[in-house]
Amino acid sequence: MAPRDTGEDKPDTPLAVEKGFATLPEIRVGVKAFVEKDGEKRKAEILSLQTRRGQPRFYVHYEEFNKRLDEWIPAERLDLSREVEWPVPEKADKKKAHGVQATKAPLKDKNPKRSLKQRLEREISGTPEFASANAQRLQQPSTAGGKENRETVTVTTEVVNGTPKPDDEEMDVDDVAAAAAKAKAAPPENYSVEEEREKLRVGGSMTQNQAEISRVRNLDKVQMGKFEIEPWYFSPYPQEFQDVDMMFICDFCLSYFGDVKQFERHRSKCTLLHPPGNEIYRDDYLSFFEIDGRRQRTWCRNLCLLSKLFLDHKTLYYDVDPFLFYCMCTRDASGCHLVGYFSKEKESADGYNVACILTLPQYQRKGFGKLLIAFSYELSKREGKLGSPEKPLSDLGLLGYRAYWQEVIVDMLMEEGRTEANIEELGSIAAMTTNDVLHTLQNLNMVKISVNHPTGSGLGNSLLSSNAREQKNQHVIVLTDAVIAQREKQKEKDKKVGKHVIDPDKLIWKPPVFTASSRTWNW
Amino acid sequence: MTTRQAGQRFRQRKLSTRQNLQIVRENEIEASNLDDESQRNIPLVKTGVEEGEESEHHLQAVISAAQAGAKASQLYIPTPETNVSLGVQYERLYPHRFQQPATYIRFSSTVEDCIGCPYCMTEADEEFLKKLNSKQRKGPQCTEDEFEQVMNFFEQTSASKQPFASVDNTPLLSFEELAAAFDEDEIEASAQQFAKDIYPYWKTCRTTARHHPLMPTLKFERNVDTDDSDPYVCFRRREVRQVRKTRGRDAQIAEKLRKLRRELEDARNLMHHVKNREFARREQLSLEKKIFEQRASVKEAKRHLGIKGDDEDLINQKPIPRARPPKLDPAIIQRGAMGPGMVPKAPLTIRADGRPPDSDLVQLVDERNRKNADIQNIIQDSMAKHRNWNNDWVDDTWRPITPPMDNESRRGNSFRAAFTESLPTPPPSFSEGEDTNMIDGARTPIPEEEKSALKLPIRYADSAMDAGHGAQGAFRRRTGRSGRMWIDRRGLKRKSPSARDERERERCHYDIESDEEADVYYTDPYDDWNIKYRIAIQASPNRGTHEQQVHAQQRMLEEQQRKLQQVSAMAGANNARAAIPVVTC
Repeated sequence: MAPRDTGEDKPDTPLAVEKGFATLPEIRVGVKAFVEKDGEKRKAEILSLQTRRGQPRFYVHYEEFNKRLDEWIPAERLDLSREVEWPVPEKADKKKAHGVQATKAPLKDKNPKRSLKQRLEREISGTPEFASANAQRLQQPSTAGGKENRETVTVTTEVVNGTPKPDDEEMDVDDVAAAAAKAKAAPPENYSVEEEREKLRVGGSMTQNQAEISRVRNLDKVQMGKFEIEPWYFSPYPQEFQDVDMMFICDFCLSYFGDVKQFERHRSKCTLLHPPGNEIYRDDYLSFFEIDGRRQRTWCRNLCLLSKLFLDHKTLYYDVDPFLFYCMCTRDASGCHLVGYFSKEKESADGYNVACILTLPQYQRKGFGKLLIAFSYELSKREGKLGSPEKPLSDLGLLGYRAYWQEVIVDMLMEEGRTEANIEELGSIAAMTTNDVLHTLQNLNMVKISVNHPTGSGLGNSLLSSNAREQKNQHVIVLTDAVIAQREKQKEKDKKVGKHVIDPDKLIWKPPVFTASSRTWNW
Repeated sequence: MTTRQAGQRFRQRKLSTRQNLQIVRENEIEASNLDDESQRNIPLVKTGVEEGEESEHHLQAVISAAQAGAKASQLYIPTPETNVSLGVQYERLYPHRFQQPATYIRFSSTVEDCIGCPYCMTEADEEFLKKLNSKQRKGPQCTEDEFEQVMNFFEQTSASKQPFASVDNTPLLSFEELAAAFDEDEIEASAQQFAKDIYPYWKTCRTTARHHPLMPTLKFERNVDTDDSDPYVCFRRREVRQVRKTRGRDAQIAEKLRKLRRELEDARNLMHHVKNREFARREQLSLEKKIFEQRASVKEAKRHLGIKGDDEDLINQKPIPRARPPKLDPAIIQRGAMGPGMVPKAPLTIRADGRPPDSDLVQLVDERNRKNADIQNIIQDSMAKHRNWNNDWVDDTWRPITPPMDNESRRGNSFRAAFTESLPTPPPSFSEGEDTNMIDGARTPIPEEEKSALKLPIRYADSAMDAGHGAQGAFRRRTGRSGRMWIDRRGLKRKSPSARDERERERCHYDIESDEEADVYYTDPYDDWNIKYRIAIQASPNRGTHEQQVHAQQRMLEEQQRKLQQVSAMAGANNARAAIPVVTC
């Protein structure tokens, strides 16, 4: 993959973005304005408008913030004293796009052969509204008219949005060669509809941009157990729930209700006290249940809907059949309460041992995530396979995995009497892929080259004894002070708080085997 | 990725993942010994985060803080709020009823199995129900459960009868149409009575909801173009791998379906029977209880009135023997034969699968054992008889077998029917009062093979052979002067020698089941050889004849005892065969 300069804030794009002062009625979807957020002004894109009790509301996405922080704001928080950016007209829009599409759009324009199919694809699946909306936009590049269109455009194959990312400036529209090179350098970014669907089919995650409507969170609040949770992302719960103030979720069967009475009636009838599967792990702190997506379709669908509220890249495009769900629960007198889960493909072509992984928000930042990850690797050890989570990871996922990997690897390296290690061996002990081990070491800046012969500089004698010449400019693994300090600190904390670990002896589990017919027929 | 760069003193090696790398601690070596530049020669590994998000502010903040070695723990990615909700009556909604089993939980019921009636009433429903119940104060009140049952029934029935109601706007089913579909399994009788009152309410609800189901449902694919990009459409079916369509496969699939159908039907029947059985059982229990109570009151009354005796009525009498053929449902037989209130016989325990208990089946093993035991008994009996019979004899001939000859003359020489009897031992003719049988009995021709060895002519029962010998023949022996012996015969069917030629013998060769005694030879008792032999036995002088006979019989006995062991051993081994030896003398 070509290195990208990420994180650099580039002030503007060469394709001049139309800027200007706006009045409140002129604000429409796609406009970028400065919005007050936690005491500072941030640039934010308007994703949706609404009028509630006579007051307009705006759904905004803050630039460089995760989508989970998107929110409805009242008009007062819009800072109209500064210029706003108007959405880029449709024509330019094709070359500009958000994220993934940034490289895709230009390719289309330059590579007619390649894009023909895609265009056909669009023409077939695109709706008339879509076309007309485009047309209208083209004719009305700046003010007014956007809102009406917005309301009719419910479905679009291509996301049409006016969010030129800062790095889009790299795209020189006329430079064919550059684009071709880029295409070569970044093959995974060229999605076709088929490729994307195939990805959805085989995996549990998605990288595609969903349709516009799903960019706006559809639920306000969710009550589950004794917690009230603010959803993070869109989830395709029945459309009727869009309007309810609070959605109620049963803690055990994960069924959803929009009405208190309904929910209470359900609770009086529901007899489920734990996830509907086999318990495969139990210690005095936790239980794990294994649930087959095919056998417990309703429950697993409910679980997926729930987790989609908190996982941006989860896909619910296809059914849950080819997945197993490993659910972590805490027990009390009322039952086994779901804390988190991870799903796993019954058969992963790419060797992933986790498809989606989530600790429910009400249990986050309590160390459950690490236990979930540890458990997923424990299963891989039992299977005798190296595992890695399915990509893309979310930001929280990346941090969680990095913390786990770091802990495991540093622990192994700090073992008494260990003077040497090789990356594959480390991986096989921890059931981690070589790449993940390498990634961790690299990320912690632990792989270095010893330049000089390290005599007398405190290195062990063993180094000298074995072919000393070879040792020169050799790769070494350096346990940096920072890493050691961090580990010691963590250990101290664990001592204080009490550390929970997964005990492999308490895992009563054999890797499930699925017959050829069950795979062929989806039985 | 190995590059040579200006100013570098050596060519960097590629990092090998298989090679053992030295582990060093930073504080143990001088920093100058490490080439910080080395990092660039290690292939960069992707973070795995979506590119567009990698640059997000909070993530970058945490990552850079971690890399700087700062106390990263203070930094975290902000997420929307989660609070303990205040208004929830958690304890009431989630009562304490979970009991953890000692073993790991194994569970396979689905959500649908566990949530009872899928329709849950809303606040609006509750209001309606209150109104409904207040209207009919006198009559029975509709409970929430019954209300939900009725609503659920309306929903389910209309969903199955008008699956596309929401699309084509068909008029709602009338109450009569719905009522026609009433089914005991779906809706209890107690709930059915309210259906008519609830129907108008349901109809308004359905109309307001524009014919959509009242309980919100997920949006599934409907094979419309817009399905594909509608974010609310979820859980699409996966395309299954297409298999080549052939006639053979079609037939196979049809067969599979038929089989499945059959098996389901069987399972259904089984369940039906089980249900009936359980009902019967319940009835039995209630009857038993009733009997017990009646008896208690009888006892009370008796005591009260001072009646004594007849106490047998108060306890269960021994069960009436079962009279029913064991074909019917054993549960019913059991009760039918014994009447209510009887304590079931112990061996009649019903098997879980409802089949008759094992004891009712005639088992091959039991049958064989019984036969073997019979044979053993006969053998034992005969041996005992032998010993008995020898008891009063002074043995100067060592186990004399022949009874005194004169007995026979006393009895008058009437003809005796020749008969055969199934006995493995020397003939029971020696039993009391039939002492002469041995001499007087029908004679089987001695098989040629055994003649020389003077074996006892034991052979296994064989109907073909018996028939050939005309069992109804009769014989008489007379002793003349100077020990001459006469044998008179009557009713003996003599077969023409031609009928028993080689060919015919061959034909019944394999009719004989025994493999040991396979060669039974037909001999003509009127053959010269046989007659000569018989004469030779008797021809010697009186004393000699006697002695010779005794001697011969002694040998026969020995032989026979050996044979007995053989037979019993064989009977043990080949007990599948009806091995009852026939002795004919």
